[in-house]
Amino acid sequence: MFGGLKEKLQAARNRLGTSIQGVVAKQEPPSPETRTAEPETPLPQQKTISSTAPTFVDKVKVLIIERELIVSEKDISEALAELEMTLLESDVALPVSDAIIAHVRTNLVGKHRKIGESVDALVVGALKSALLEVLGKGFNLVEYVKTHAHPVKILFTGVNGTGKTTTVAKIGAFLKKNGYTVVIGAGDTYRAGAIEQIGVHAERIGIKIIQHQEGADPSAVIFDAVQYAVSHKIDVVLADTAGRFHTKSNLMNQLEKIRRVMKPDLIVYVDEAVAGNDAIVRAAEFDRTVGADAVVLTKADMDSRGGAAISIAHTIGKPLMFLGTGQGYDDIMPFDPAQVVEDLLGSDT
Amino acid sequence: MQQMDQRELMTLQHYLKEYGQQAEIFVSQLEMLENGRMEAHAAIEALEGMLATEDGIVLLQIGGGASVRAKVLEPEKILLSIGAEVVVERSNKEAVEFLKERIMEMEASQKKVAETLDRLRSQMNEINKRLESGYQQSAATEQDQD
Repeated sequence: MFGGLKEKLQAARNRLGTSIQGVVAKQEPPSPETRTAEPETPLPQQKTISSTAPTFVDKVKVLIIERELIVSEKDISEALAELEMTLLESDVALPVSDAIIAHVRTNLVGKHRKIGESVDALVVGALKSALLEVLGKGFNLVEYVKTHAHPVKILFTGVNGTGKTTTVAKIGAFLKKNGYTVVIGAGDTYRAGAIEQIGVHAERIGIKIIQHQEGADPSAVIFDAVQYAVSHKIDVVLADTAGRFHTKSNLMNQLEKIRRVMKPDLIVYVDEAVAGNDAIVRAAEFDRTVGADAVVLTKADMDSRGGAAISIAHTIGKPLMFLGTGQGYDDIMPFDPAQVVEDLLGSDT
Repeated sequence: MQQMDQRELMTLQHYLKEYGQQAEIFVSQLEMLENGRMEAHAAIEALEGMLATEDGIVLLQIGGGASVRAKVLEPEKILLSIGAEVVVERSNKEAVEFLKERIMEMEASQKKVAETLDRLRSQMNEINKRLESGYQQSAATEQDQD
């Protein structure tokens, strides 16, 4: 997953490291006497981050007295420009790549680094905190279900052919595994075979499904699913809906009606990670029209760029909840930002 | 072998149909990737060809099968969409390198999609075999009853 991005980030990390390493060569004073003339000063234990650009005098003073180097903006500007290109080429949205660059810059410029201290750790630390900032906190569905009144009603929306129905089944299986009872409302009454498809999934994972005839009003199906959950004390209602493009106003109005009838606790937008920036644009549109509380990205195992996964939380301000990673019911991964950042940057640290 | 009932046969048919739908999606993804790859190859050929011409004149397709002769003013400066809806100016050589990298990425994705499709097809074959044997058993049972 996100292999291309991982490779590119690794290259960018090395490039940044080399830039900072270069600072050592430039700042090392030519005369050894200057250094030995200084009295033995105990090295300060804490590194400080200065928000203002260090002057030449500051740099020399810190180098001589504290045996530390200060990274300046000029030292890393080229490497940051390359990092920006790397992120954009990986389909990371422009505002997100700007935020990452700004964060890395703030983190590194003015940073005091002891001579001999690992440059890589400094760079990886800055990149990790920048990525964590844009990735947000993720969304813990189990915790949400645990802390909210039952039945928790979850409405799934999204465009056609992204794997929404399969995602509903996977999340159903996930919740069941975590000890919750689930009912699925087969609200995709439009696509031929969709009711059968979700029916087969529900049977396979052993979850009750509420379905009407093809062409029936999806609001009615989902209303019945909620009623069933209330009367049978079911923990979670998962409402599948037909895929639709945000540009089709009649279909978006239908979704709005479903929302009014169901009164969902969560609206989950489902799209495919491989759609890259398109997924972000569409998620923003859905959020504007019917709302979205969390996002699921499917087919993440086939996405080497990872742009959508990196950008979506920061761009639309809604957390990424799950990543779909394959065909099986277990092939769904709760999105854990720390884990993703570790996977992208952690292996060689 | 255990006798299959009608319900089990129907479930298998549903599985087969569902797998078929999934396979269709993957096939269309493969087509999209192949189109993208071919397009990138064509772009590389055009970029390299542009440098090779002395007068900088190229045939520009304007749709409907019509083309005009056009003079490329700056064949060394290429405006390239690099992703995230961002267009940057690159040199001809850099643009070719970028496109070659994209082709490699697309080929890797094609390989992954093709592997998934193969897995899906082998599962479909399995289901087909089970369905066939189920049909044969039903037919044999019906004959026995006659």
